[in-house]
Amino acid sequence: MDILIIGLSHKSAEIGDREVVSKKLLTPELRQEFAKKLLNLKDAGDRPLIKEIAILTTCNRSEFIMDLSPWAVGKEAHFIKDYISEYFFAKKSVDDDLFYMLLNLEAVKHLFSVASSLDSMVIGEPQILGQIKDAYNESCEFKTNGQVLNKLFHKAFYCAKRVRTETKIASSPVSVSYAAVELSKKIFNSLSDKKILLLGTGEMGKLTAKHFIKSGVHNIYIANRTKEKACHFVEESFGMNEKNCVDVIDFSEYYKLLPHTDIILCSTGSEGYVLRYDDIMPVIKLRKQRPLFLIDISVPRNIDPEINKISNVYLYDIDDIGKMIEDNLEIRKKEAETAGELVEINAKEFMEWKNSLNAVPVIVLLRNKVKDILEVELSKYIGEKKEKDLIINSLTNKILHEPITLIKKAAVDSNEANMLETLKTLFNLDLSKETLHKKGNDNAINKECEKGKIKLVK
Amino acid sequence: MTTGELYLIPFFIYVFSYIFLLLRKKKFYQAFVSLIYAGFIIQSLIFFIWLNLHGLKDLMSVDWIVFFNAWVIMIVVVLFNLFYKTKYILIYITPIVAINLLIGFFTPHTYINLKPFFSNFDQAVLLTHIILILIGDSLFALAFIISLIYIFQERRIKIKKNLKLFDKKNHPFDEVFYQGKGYNLELLDSMNYQCLKIGFPLITVGIAMGIYLSSSLFKSFMIVKPIEIISLATWLIYAVLLHERVAKGLRGKKAAVFSIIGFLLIISSLSFSFYLFPEFHGFK
Repeated sequence: MDILIIGLSHKSAEIGDREVVSKKLLTPELRQEFAKKLLNLKDAGDRPLIKEIAILTTCNRSEFIMDLSPWAVGKEAHFIKDYISEYFFAKKSVDDDLFYMLLNLEAVKHLFSVASSLDSMVIGEPQILGQIKDAYNESCEFKTNGQVLNKLFHKAFYCAKRVRTETKIASSPVSVSYAAVELSKKIFNSLSDKKILLLGTGEMGKLTAKHFIKSGVHNIYIANRTKEKACHFVEESFGMNEKNCVDVIDFSEYYKLLPHTDIILCSTGSEGYVLRYDDIMPVIKLRKQRPLFLIDISVPRNIDPEINKISNVYLYDIDDIGKMIEDNLEIRKKEAETAGELVEINAKEFMEWKNSLNAVPVIVLLRNKVKDILEVELSKYIGEKKEKDLIINSLTNKILHEPITLIKKAAVDSNEANMLETLKTLFNLDLSKETLHKKGNDNAINKECEKGKIKLVK
Repeated sequence: MTTGELYLIPFFIYVFSYIFLLLRKKKFYQAFVSLIYAGFIIQSLIFFIWLNLHGLKDLMSVDWIVFFNAWVIMIVVVLFNLFYKTKYILIYITPIVAINLLIGFFTPHTYINLKPFFSNFDQAVLLTHIILILIGDSLFALAFIISLIYIFQERRIKIKKNLKLFDKKNHPFDEVFYQGKGYNLELLDSMNYQCLKIGFPLITVGIAMGIYLSSSLFKSFMIVKPIEIISLATWLIYAVLLHERVAKGLRGKKAAVFSIIGFLLIISSLSFSFYLFPEFHGFK
């Protein structure tokens, strides 16, 4: 009945190792196949080790979230970890320890932190929650999850939502491209009628250009020293709709565009300045003083910093934008501390719920035992079934009210873990698989769990 | 209750509304805006009631001109609000209106009796002169506020400091005063230009009428008085600004500085007119 998470992430493994795992789990079919393999893992007594499983794969992490069978203890968890490790890295020694293994409260806290984007490479990024939802939906589709993982995932979604709404973790974006667009909105009223000149074909330039297109820009001119490379870059980087907004021009011609351009994005690999003070100064008069926004995201810098001194010209380099993002990262880190507390509270609540499940079979069997005794004894005096059942139920509830409350407490409180064992011995409760899975008991257990009768007792 | 005392009602509403703004709670911001509009409606009602009771002749009293100026400023701001969705301008402009109302309250309700000097036609010209100048001045007041915001905002962007880009959960008070949010340079410049485009012709006609009245009163188009010199200097500054904008595309910081200088001259000319040297305007 333990929650086990085995996985690897950007914190524990290099990108090469992460790639190996994600390639083997690339498609839903591959994931389903591996989930089935894990569910088929059995102990020495031929009993399945894992009851429920969900597989989470993102570009930064691959994780196996499992609910173990009651008989699977620490040793079995290590066995599962070794199995997973060997499956993906047959040639590597187990000592390499690429995978981390988390159990129960630690595992729940980890999943909640991941869902709340506290464990992401960029804290607070929103994609991870969607990816976890996909993993959960997939496990539902494959029918590899059950009552515990259902509850676990829903609690994770709830926790992530609380973190998002109750902290400012997501209110401060942290990407350079987003910052560039936001900055340009400080200068320009509408971006739809603005012309952008992108110098170079760097990755950051591409992302920023894409972000500008998303924000409504229709005219982007791309100039690169090798025109073919620029054409190839456009072909590779932009979608069909985006391509309509992009034009490739000769590098020698970009000077002609300066009087008509509103935003210049520079992302070349040049070692010197591509745009100098003397290039921009004469253009300003031709532009009739319209503001010009320059974003230099290349290292080393490609735009002369002196240009910022020209009136109505605003130059931001990667450091300037980085500083703004840094502020936001700091805000996010501070917010992550508050979010951590929320995660802790939610994880504890979940573990209390899960532990209370241990008491369900005992409660059901105890009730049945008392009912059986009353049935036998009352049958001697009361003939009518309806009346007899009412008395039996009423007496059972009255007799067992306080013991059941104590049992629930004992299930949650680890200090009183022995109480369940004592009860089993005292009342001779048979918790074997056969007894538990009798039709009547099965239904009673499910009802107890599903109707939420097992409530937290604090 | 005199009309001057009635004008204390919108004054106190404007002052009271700022309590809601200074509470810096987002939920109170709407209360602030609603109170400002309520104050404006009451101000308008008082204006029309007074106009109905006394007619246009009251325009010849100094306190009424100040009240009228406050009302015109509010109309200009409300119209700008409708066209540009610039709700934050209210935060800046309402104190100016409130101060106007207070000045109007303390200004004696004395009529400027011009009947011995002016014919009926001249009196109508004088009324139009006052109205046009006040509307033009209100637009320039707005341009002045917008230019100040522009200069602060431009400086933030230029020196790359105190420029919060992302936090969207702040109260408008913080956004306006600490982060310069709500406006971009292009919008501010365009609003500034609109004020100039509408205000300049009004001021031009107003000044022309003033010159006509001067000639009618003193039998000369120009007699060298501070009010005339300052008015012409102001007109010249705005004329140069408009010319530079249209012909050479002047915009941005320089245009904002021009607007600020122009409005400071207007303030000084109005001060000369009403308070410092009323005799120079021919009031005494």
